[in-house]
Amino acid sequence: MKRSLFGRVWPNATALVVFAACVFPVYWMFATALKPTGDIIAEDPVWFPTDITFEHFGTATDAEHFWTFVRNSLTVTCLAVLFSLIIALAGSFALARMRFKGRRGFVIAFMLAQMAPWEVMVIAIYMIVRDASMLNSLVPLTAFYMMMILPFTILTLRGFVAAVPKELEESAMVDGCTRAQAFRRVILPLLAPGLMSTSMFGFITAWNEFPLVLVLSKESGGAQTLPLWLSSFQTQFGDDWGATMAASSLFAVPILILFVFLQRRAVSGLTAGAVKG
Amino acid sequence: MTVQTERPPSGPADVRKSDDPAPAGPRPRAASRAGALAPYLLLLPACAATVLLLGWPLLKDLLLSFQNLNMAQLIQHVTEWNGIDNYKEVLTGEDFWRVTLRSILFTAVNVVLTMLLGALVGLLLARLGKRMRLTLMIGLVLAWAMPVVAATTVYQWLFAQRFGVVNWVLDKLGWHSMADHSWTSSQMSTFFVVTLLIVWMSVPFVAINLYAATTTIPGELYEAAALDGAGAWRGFTTVTLPFLRPFLYATTFLEIIWIFKAFVQVFTFNGGGPDRLTEILPVYAYIEGVGNQHYGMGAAIAVLTILIMLGLTAYYLRIVLKQEEDEL
Amino acid sequence: MKRKLIAAIGVAGMLFSVAACGGDDGGDSGKKAGADGYAGQTLTVWVMDGSSPDQWQKDLAAEFEKKTKAKVTFEVQQWNGIQQKLTTALSEENPPDVFEIGNTQTPAYAKTGGLADLADLKEEIGADWTESLNESSVYEGKQYAAPWYFANRVVLYNKKVWADAGLKDTPKTRDEFYTALKTIGEKTDAEPIYLPGQNWYHFVGLVIGEGGELVKKDGDTYVSNLDDPKVAAAAETYKKFQALSKAPKDKDEATPQQGEVFAKGNVGAFIGMGWEAGIAIEANPAIEKQIGYFTIPGATADKPEGVFLGGSNLAVAAGSQKQELAKEFLKLALSDKYEGQLAKLNGVIPNKESLQSNLKGNAPAEAAAPAAAVGGTTPLIPEWAAVENDPNPIKTYLTAVLNGKSPAAAAKQVEGEFNKRLAQQQ
Repeated sequence: MKRSLFGRVWPNATALVVFAACVFPVYWMFATALKPTGDIIAEDPVWFPTDITFEHFGTATDAEHFWTFVRNSLTVTCLAVLFSLIIALAGSFALARMRFKGRRGFVIAFMLAQMAPWEVMVIAIYMIVRDASMLNSLVPLTAFYMMMILPFTILTLRGFVAAVPKELEESAMVDGCTRAQAFRRVILPLLAPGLMSTSMFGFITAWNEFPLVLVLSKESGGAQTLPLWLSSFQTQFGDDWGATMAASSLFAVPILILFVFLQRRAVSGLTAGAVKG
Repeated sequence: MTVQTERPPSGPADVRKSDDPAPAGPRPRAASRAGALAPYLLLLPACAATVLLLGWPLLKDLLLSFQNLNMAQLIQHVTEWNGIDNYKEVLTGEDFWRVTLRSILFTAVNVVLTMLLGALVGLLLARLGKRMRLTLMIGLVLAWAMPVVAATTVYQWLFAQRFGVVNWVLDKLGWHSMADHSWTSSQMSTFFVVTLLIVWMSVPFVAINLYAATTTIPGELYEAAALDGAGAWRGFTTVTLPFLRPFLYATTFLEIIWIFKAFVQVFTFNGGGPDRLTEILPVYAYIEGVGNQHYGMGAAIAVLTILIMLGLTAYYLRIVLKQEEDEL
Repeated sequence: MKRKLIAAIGVAGMLFSVAACGGDDGGDSGKKAGADGYAGQTLTVWVMDGSSPDQWQKDLAAEFEKKTKAKVTFEVQQWNGIQQKLTTALSEENPPDVFEIGNTQTPAYAKTGGLADLADLKEEIGADWTESLNESSVYEGKQYAAPWYFANRVVLYNKKVWADAGLKDTPKTRDEFYTALKTIGEKTDAEPIYLPGQNWYHFVGLVIGEGGELVKKDGDTYVSNLDDPKVAAAAETYKKFQALSKAPKDKDEATPQQGEVFAKGNVGAFIGMGWEAGIAIEANPAIEKQIGYFTIPGATADKPEGVFLGGSNLAVAAGSQKQELAKEFLKLALSDKYEGQLAKLNGVIPNKESLQSNLKGNAPAEAAAPAAAVGGTTPLIPEWAAVENDPNPIKTYLTAVLNGKSPAAAAKQVEGEFNKRLAQQQ
């Protein structure tokens, strides 16, 4: 089918506009972070940073306990994602491949769990954690972040598991595998993109979480994570956009890298995940 | 490995059956007792976690909502039951209803915009050449991946009253009164920026998802439609749309719950201000509960928020219920 | 895939052990002084951002350790969100042992039972505390905190900017002040004054200057008095000066810290605490020589502008397991030596008159002194603390007026919220 010139031009033109709209805020964040202050508070914006400076990044990382924040955030996020993947893998296999009484109930229950508005339950959670003497610890944070992403992980993985043709598993079992072996040797490798795309959501949720850690970790230098650092930074340096943007950049970079790195494999599997979402 | 460790312990009578090396083939698997237990055991960790880490806080929240819990009671660990006083106060005040209405409108506008733009961009992706598609995909992924706290901060900077690039552009475009405009000073302009932010962050998910779905539409369907003399539009409505329907439902459901809970964007951008005019339900619950240290009241609003969310998504949940019946 | 998974689990194990370490809060136990004094114990003290200089903390901690063998950790807190943080902290097993608390917030916390009774401390060291400064620490006849320091706002100005504008003298009346700022705007490219729309403490000062009140009594409860013409007059004054500033109308003086804005050298003046100069100097040491201070001028030359007498008390958490040690700390921190040092370094009013001599030669303190006599506070009632929670209705009122609403209409707009907070169930 041959398309007219116009038919060929407009999708590309639109795509460029959409691309610019998507990228500009991200670009502006990095550009501001790299500009000297004089260029940031200029009457006419400096569109491309010419004198690159890293001084704002210095201001941002000079914050007390910065590396503790980084370590805590990485620990909590990785653990929460990992645990939720393991737990969800087991559950989603059952939901996708097995027939049993109450299956529908489980699916609906996880869908409901996915809707939980965590922000409004912070005080209840705070009191539970306080009464268990677990404040200022990474353990409750990890546990609750794991729970925040678990329902989504289960439901999405269920779609991925269902998308693996049953015949593959069956033929493996014909070849003498037990069901568990079949799962490990046949299904798991095929699930890799699914695991990646679901883990991306987990990462971003846990990495971002703010209201809960605010009440659970008051001790400075204790179990505090990067969102606290970023928000305290913002109140203190509200006017210093260079430093604030440098801090935001530092906060965003790990996730940006992860997404760009994983997106190709992840997108290929997203359909499978979403069809049952 | 998960599966192996959770192999159900079974009675001797069942051992032979479950250890049967090749229970495959067309022969239906005998429903041994162990086999029947397997799904429950596989689901056990997930259910245990849900009960402990979500069920317990929910129950606690429900209990708190029937208590008079303020600074003094919290500090001294005193439990003062006050029946349904919190609910009475919330439900008879006009604030709650105003916030609820605002929340629903806010969610509706954002979800409609997100789905519409997301679907259009998704279809656009399907139409692009390879190189352009990759370019756009990278752009979408970048916007999608921006952590919300960072994204909100960036939007504050873009829309800053002084030296904000948006005000500069509007001024240069001839709208001079915007040169020093404070976007946080009115309800509508705050919502405008927050909506822009949310749509910006949400469109990539919808677009990429839908694009991925369109790639799975079998080409024969279009050919068949073309043979029937269908034009591009008919092909779209008779083939593309029906095929994409489940994806659209699923993503709409997710967007509704995500946007309804858009606490960080609203709270960080302007704290629910000016004059509490941009508080949506989760923000309202937080400000009344944690902010004003009226924890019992906050818990009651939280419970009501959950109920309203259930109402908003009931339609989809019913579809899922039906769909699950037909499966397997 | 298999190998990868195993590796991942290994990493998880490693991370988990890290997590376990992170969770260890290293809390120390032991309540009473043994043979070793309080050796091995650590006292946690919360102080507000900017209120006590590093030098003071260092000297005090050193002497405290020498005296009691116990260590002390100062944790600096931000005013924003402090009540939420403090309330939860006081309910915990390990609350901060000693903490600074604003005088307007003290009655509310005294009522919650979160503050330890300090009657014996008052008896021991508090005989000569200035009566009026101790008022907020006493609730229903009991001593719940110790007065620490007091301060009121002054004008901090940039001498260079004023000289550039050709101004020689500091103004003596409100009109002169306004004219001077106008001149700066015309003759230099500096911002005449940095006055964000929600510096509500300054606004409270203006109300006091007009002889007005923010709340009035209606039967048993307090209700909004913002519709009083005197309050409206104060709001008009605020608006007139704010119009000279490019500062945001919906932010307070701490976001961003106005001292840091001033530090950039392109601002003529701002209204703040004397010690806010320290924030500016830290951000830009070169600014130190340019900072001058004067009393906020009133309507007439014979009476300075009304000011809000801000102050902080030191309190001990009722839940602290180190009551004795905490009191030891208070005795030292409030001793003439350290109370005097604080007054001297920060230019704040000390808790007893005999220490006022420390303020001699301290420019910000001398600028503040004349106004202190005509200063006042917000009502010292437990209900008040709720008003200060975000979104503070007085801030909302100010922003509304600055955005063009009439004071009467703005008062009406926030009245409901204000009254609700004053009547809030405790």
